[in-house]
Amino acid sequence: MLVIKGLKAKVEDKQILNGIDLEIRSGEVHAIMGPNGSGKSTLAHVLSGRPGYEITGGEVTLDGKDLLSLSPEDRARAGVFLAFQYPVEIPGVNNTYFLKAALNAVRKSKGEEELDAMDFLELVKAKLKPLKMDEAMLQRAVNEGFSGGEKKKNEILQMAVLEPKLGILDETDSGLDIDALKVVADGVNALRSKNRSFLVVTHYQRLLDYIVPDQVHVLAKGKIIKTGGKELALELEEKGYGWLTGEKEEAKR
Amino acid sequence: MSNLMTQDLYLSAFTARQAFLPGQDQAWLKDLRLKALEHFKQAGFPTDKLESWKYTNLANNLLKMSLSFELPKVTPSAVTAQLKKRGFEVEKAHVMVFVNGAYSAELSSLKTLPKGVVIQNLASALAHETVKTYLGQVASAQKKAFTALNMAYFTDGLFLNLAAGQLLEWPIHVVYLSANASQTTQSHLRNLIVLGNDSRAQVIEHYWGENVSAYLTNAVTEVVLSQGSVLDHTKIGQEDLKGFHVGSIEAKQNEASQFISRTFSVGGALTRNEIDTTLAQKKAESVMDGLYLSKGQQHVDTRTFIDHLSPNCNSHETFKGVLDGESTAIFDGFILVRENAQKTDARQSNKNLQLSNTAKVYSKPQLQIYADDVKCSHGSATGQMDEEALFYFQSRGISRADAKKALVYAFAGEMVERVPSEYLKPALTKFVQDWMGGAS
Repeated sequence: MLVIKGLKAKVEDKQILNGIDLEIRSGEVHAIMGPNGSGKSTLAHVLSGRPGYEITGGEVTLDGKDLLSLSPEDRARAGVFLAFQYPVEIPGVNNTYFLKAALNAVRKSKGEEELDAMDFLELVKAKLKPLKMDEAMLQRAVNEGFSGGEKKKNEILQMAVLEPKLGILDETDSGLDIDALKVVADGVNALRSKNRSFLVVTHYQRLLDYIVPDQVHVLAKGKIIKTGGKELALELEEKGYGWLTGEKEEAKR
Repeated sequence: MSNLMTQDLYLSAFTARQAFLPGQDQAWLKDLRLKALEHFKQAGFPTDKLESWKYTNLANNLLKMSLSFELPKVTPSAVTAQLKKRGFEVEKAHVMVFVNGAYSAELSSLKTLPKGVVIQNLASALAHETVKTYLGQVASAQKKAFTALNMAYFTDGLFLNLAAGQLLEWPIHVVYLSANASQTTQSHLRNLIVLGNDSRAQVIEHYWGENVSAYLTNAVTEVVLSQGSVLDHTKIGQEDLKGFHVGSIEAKQNEASQFISRTFSVGGALTRNEIDTTLAQKKAESVMDGLYLSKGQQHVDTRTFIDHLSPNCNSHETFKGVLDGESTAIFDGFILVRENAQKTDARQSNKNLQLSNTAKVYSKPQLQIYADDVKCSHGSATGQMDEEALFYFQSRGISRADAKKALVYAFAGEMVERVPSEYLKPALTKFVQDWMGGAS
């Protein structure tokens, strides 16, 4: 499904990604772990088309389709979904409006009929329940005044509504207490299917207790330095990143 | 004779024009007009040497034009249909139409009015005792050159007078249309609104141009609010891009009166909106809202003055602007809290959204306080479109263009959402949306 070959990227003059090779097959969950500054979030951003990054080499395809030449909205329509580490607050834009505009933009691009207000509401209400979200939040401005947990749940809700091929979770566990983490992880797990893949970017192993990956990759200085199964995450938790990078890591938190 | 807009022209042309102006039989008015002309002679057209005109220089645009004094007789397209197209349910309003400064009875439709309610064109009401008492009293010709010019040359406008206790049910929608075809023109419009004790009215001043050459609209509105009266006043500026608009609204508020003033401005090559209110007696309240949207080479200048003269008065002022292209916006808001105005609650805010790097904003909030027991605040902010928010939309499949529109509407729409009037809301929503449709 997702094939990344020799991907290199820089921000301003700083080279961040130094040749990433990665293949995620349909239905698989891959975790990207690594110390701060290793480039894990950059990888997530580059895949989603966030401005500010310059691609200096390599290619990325989703089901054979070149992603890097597409605008962020066209990537989303092609099935890429980025769950933000810091979801953006948008005062004055209603959550329902936002979700509906997004879903209809994606549907339209596939030649599907746009949903009217009634059908949309029915659809979204069904998606709220597993995330233990209150209907009232649909009437609030997008993420405005949301707690950390509410924001992350809102990201998963958007993903559930848009039904992407590839879900990229950028440090989705950051800022979550254990209860919220479980709800969010359950929400993600409910979306796992043989037609949908995930790339889970995280600093800590904790999230992977709940969203169990098929493969774990360790990123350091913009390159994948080790790949293994889910047990690799546990090993990292125990030994720290210094074990692989050869550098002393700051005290484990 | 050259018609170039010079001070001399207006001084010399008056003798010849006088005969065409209404109120020939009213000696008091003739006297007012002559005195106003004298004030204009003293003042001259404002120059950018004046602090209040610092960023709006008329020398290179308006004052280089030749504008005829003639009022061309033009039959405009169906005004009712135009209003409907703009989102107004005109069946639920008293509609008054002025074309090139002259009242058009046939295009207007005033519903049956109860006793104690006068809605008339000013030119036909000049013998009215209330007009004699108040005209030129609130908007004095001494303070502003354009107001002086207006007094000297005004042809017509709205006269609204409510007796005590009258609650007017339908809004009064006044359309000032410039439709001069090939002739360049000027209209000096004068409105007078006098509300008796505990009366209430909603007035919409709506300016637009169609099928025009260059023109000037110089509009002055005087408002007298007696004790406990409420005026809900909205000015909609949809002048043609060839139009120049200089407008001044001045209100005097007595005890516990409420003046709600809204200004929605989208049109015109150059627009100058001045809104002044004097909170002359205790417990008076003023709400001043405004939204200006500009693009291309447009220039929109807003200057407000709130004079807190008496104790326990409130004023809440919120102006927002969205600027695209190479347009320029000025917001100059002055709140004066005088010594006697204890327990004043005055708030002012100006926010601007720049859609291009070439748009310019000059925001100048000013607050002068001479009383010690007051609550006052003011703030000003100008920013660009939030790139992070745009990317958030895009990352969900929404196009960048649609994301921009949603964000502009989120910013500007607040001023529409605050409008309680069912008559105005759909039209103002459309007002903002139509503007965005043409924005980059």
